[in-house]
Amino acid sequence: MKNLEELKKIKERVKRDLDLRAGKHRVKIVVCLGTCGIAAGARQTMNTLVDCINSSGKSDIIVTTSGCAGFCEQEPMIRVQVEDKEPVVYGKVDPKAAEEIFEKHILNGEIVGKYLFSKGN
Amino acid sequence: MKDIADHLFDILENSVKANATKVNIFLEIKKNIFFCTVEDNGSGIKDIDVTDPFVTSRKTRNVGLGLSLLKKAMEDTGGFLKIYNMEKGGAKLEFEMIISHIDAKPLGDMASVFVDAIYSWPTVDFDIIGRIGCKKKPIFRSVEIKNIFSYFEMQHNEVRNFIYYSIKDELEKAGINFQFKI
Repeated sequence: MKNLEELKKIKERVKRDLDLRAGKHRVKIVVCLGTCGIAAGARQTMNTLVDCINSSGKSDIIVTTSGCAGFCEQEPMIRVQVEDKEPVVYGKVDPKAAEEIFEKHILNGEIVGKYLFSKGN
Repeated sequence: MKDIADHLFDILENSVKANATKVNIFLEIKKNIFFCTVEDNGSGIKDIDVTDPFVTSRKTRNVGLGLSLLKKAMEDTGGFLKIYNMEKGGAKLEFEMIISHIDAKPLGDMASVFVDAIYSWPTVDFDIIGRIGCKKKPIFRSVEIKNIFSYFEMQHNEVRNFIYYSIKDELEKAGINFQFKI
């Protein structure tokens, strides 16, 4: 393991930064990461979403994972749950689509019809 | 899957689904052979051929491809895959790939496998074991990160990058840096 001292310094910086941004999660994005998802490149999709969140500086959006949803040919699939709104599922979300969905839906509340798979429960 | 990293991530998910709380991954490249073992303390495998694609613990359908795809990928290069229950409990998976074989898949981004695993399954401890010199030693233990950062703090980009590059560094020191070799 690399320098534990360095790690502790990072913790100080991070703690201060996060204390300023503390808040509830407004948006939860669930990425399907079953065998079908992984084979279709869902890990790249997930990492793109994590990068988008970090660039946006927002602290109320989290990304979590789930197993196969059963619609393997639509993979990579993501479910966007915005607080108080019905969940929206997108299919065939490659990294480019993920960026578009992040900007249009997650930041601006506009559902992206091109990748929409289903709405509601 | 396009590379071994994707296969390995898929295998780790199997351990998590078997309710493992600790997963040890040993990786080694010796001459032209890539060898990996994954040991977990989960509920183990059933007494049937789990590498058969029609054998699965899934309830929604009776096809489970993860192990059979990895087995084929290994055997295509002259390697093998073995999975069995350990006496102390849990399952152990061993697989080997002949890197010099023309059908060998690239390793891919191995460090990202562990970063993704730590973030996807924060309650599971992952240890990477490598060979330094002649001895097998742990080269990364996710529990050390968790002792310093809370899961919330780990979401910060700087921490995530630090973890990624630390793992990448340790993997390289342990000789896991092959992509292709003819």
